[in-house]
This record gives sequence, C-alpha cells and structure tokens, in this order.
Amino acid sequence: MAVMAAPENTPVWVNTSRCKACDICVDACPAGVLSMQQEPTSTLGAMISVIEPDACIGCQECELSCPDFAIYVAERKEFKFAKLTDSSKERQEAIRNNGYRIPTDYKEAN
Amino acid sequence: MAFNYDQYLRVDKMPTLWCWGCGDGVILKSFIRAIDKLGINKDDMCLVSGIGCSGRFSSYVDMNTVHTTHGRTIAFATGIKLANPDKYVVCVAGDGDALAIGGNHTIHGCRRNIDITLILINNFIYGLTNSQTSPTTPRGFWTVSQKAGNIDPTFDGCKLAEAAGASFVARESVNAPKKLEKVIVEALKHKGFSFVEALSNCHINLGRKNKMQSAMANLDWIDSITVSKRKWDEMSELDKENHLPLGILKQDTEALEYCAMYDEVKKAQQGQRGVITQDDFEKKL
Repeated sequence: MAVMAAPENTPVWVNTSRCKACDICVDACPAGVLSMQQEPTSTLGAMISVIEPDACIGCQECELSCPDFAIYVAERKEFKFAKLTDSSKERQEAIRNNGYRIPTDYKEAN
Repeated sequence: MAFNYDQYLRVDKMPTLWCWGCGDGVILKSFIRAIDKLGINKDDMCLVSGIGCSGRFSSYVDMNTVHTTHGRTIAFATGIKLANPDKYVVCVAGDGDALAIGGNHTIHGCRRNIDITLILINNFIYGLTNSQTSPTTPRGFWTVSQKAGNIDPTFDGCKLAEAAGASFVARESVNAPKKLEKVIVEALKHKGFSFVEALSNCHINLGRKNKMQSAMANLDWIDSITVSKRKWDEMSELDKENHLPLGILKQDTEALEYCAMYDEVKKAQQGQRGVITQDDFEKKL
C-alpha cells in the first residue's frame, strides 16, 4: 500500500501549495479542527489552517472530501485521537456560521 | 502514516487546473484508492480520457494514458483492450463526452460487453465551455444556451447502459467518496463492460445562476436528488421520477465478454477450432 510518513505527533496536516480554499474540508469536519484564514496571495483570499489539532477525532472526512490532495490525516493505529465533545461541536457551528473563517470571539479567547 | 496519493500522480502537474472544490478531484482520489486497494501495478493499466474537464484525468495520473478526441474514449479503449486483453483499461468521460457527442460509442461499448471500465463524470452541465445545456441538465435550470430555463428532458445514463447491455452498472456521488471507491473496486474486478456514473458538483458553471454558488450548496442539492437503491425501490412512482438511485444497479457475471469471444475467433482463423455457430453461444463458446 502506498503510504507516506506523518510529521511527528500531528493528527492532521495540510499542503498549502495545493489548497485552493474551497471550504469543503472545513464544512466536512465535525469537530471544528479546521478553519480558513485570510491569505492575500491566494486566489480566493483565504488559506486552510489547522486551528485546533488536539480536537481531531480522526474521521478522515476532510481528507476524503478534499479534491486537491492538500490535506492528510494520520492513521488511527499510530495516533491517539480525541473524542467528539460538545465544545468541539459548538466551535464547528461557530466556524460554519462565520463563513468558514475563525470567529472573532474565538480568537480573543485564545 | 497516511495514504500517499503522490505515488500515482504526476506531481509536477499539481495543483490541478480544476476549479476550487471541483468534484473531479474527489473522483480521482477515489479511483487512486481503488487501484491501490486492488494492488494493481501502474504499468498494467491504461487510462483513456476525452475532452472536457474530465479529460484532465489522463494528465494527472502517472500511468499509461491516452488523451483522445472528443467522445471517442470507448472507441480508442476498445482497440487498446483488444490488443492487450490482460491489461486493465479505464475510460473517463464527462456527461457531454460520453452521452452527447460520444453517445453512440457508449451504446456499442455496452452492447459488446467488452472488459472496459467507464467512469462517467456527470456534473449536469457543459462545464468547460461555460454552462451550456447538456443531456443531463435538469429541466428548469438556467443555462447559457437556454436562458429562459431548460426545457429538454433529462437523460439517465445508467438506464441507457442497462438497456444497451452493459453487465455492470452503478451510480455514486462525490458526497460519499468511500462508497465511490467501493463501486470502482467492484467495477475494476468485474469482467465485462462496467459503467460507473459518478455524480459531481460544478458550482462554478451549474451553480452560479441556479442558487448553488458554493460547493457545499451544490453537494447538498446532489444529496437531495439521490437516494440509495434499497430506498428507491420502496418509493412511489412519482418519487422515483424525481430521484436517482445510488449503488450497484446491475451486475451480471454470466454475460459473455468480448475479448474472450474474440480469442475464439482467433482460434477459428488459425484452424484450431471450427467456425463459431449459434449453438456455440448456447454452450457459452
């Protein structure tokens, strides 16, 4: 099987040279791990970023739905993923309602 | 560890030329995972693509590829398969490529039941040329060629393939990449013509004037018009008309495959057996 090495202690990582900022992965994530960040050099003015890697549950929805080979998730047997919590769901809802960008109150809290 | 797609890709061509969020990329990913799952050597496979956004498929996969003329994917693939019966031949075509200009080739590929896998990417519009009505555009949709709303009836590719004699017919959408992968695995394993319709999103050209400007909105619309085969069977006649069934719709392992029959023709020509008669077909040659 074709496998690639994962960066150490990383549940999910991105390749920003391939991402086109289509928002699909941010919409697919159930745990609010991903978000779009402002990036003036990108065509759509946004770029994917992993804002809360510790909340990743390892469902691989983002990797499967990404059309541009830009996002990767570690294998379940190699990394201990978190459980889906209510605060994760709330954060995801807030990101979704904010047009897939990081909500301003979330940035202030951190 | 993570799955390494780059092993099957021409990495120097990345990022892809497709628009942001295009479903073609998800189908390409599912296809790569399917060939990895079956452990097929890249040199044992030939991918044939036609013209359209789907035609870019052959540029991105690192295997034997042919980028052919518009609509002639099956014609080219038939020749490749007959010359190399032990290799896998996969066609990738869009809805315009395989159902409009190349409709005739699709019908006769299905009729011969030759061992080719056709992945038909249906995005309900002519995307590359900027939103003209395609055979699969739903009625009442805005298109550049029918700005007052599309009045053409919608074409069902799977029904066509079934009627024309394809021995494997399936439909999946980019909403469920894992299911799409499984269907492609079954299609590649199947001996005979495998027709896989992959419903894809085109929020740029289909969605821009049809209230689906984002990829998510377009994917939700695809989700609303599709239903699994099991649920579709229980639906009323009216609901059946408005929904498309997903899953494997036909699988006939008994049907005679064209390359196997062609082998018998070769033997007959070389004097190793008598000519093929109608009785031979009853005995499955």
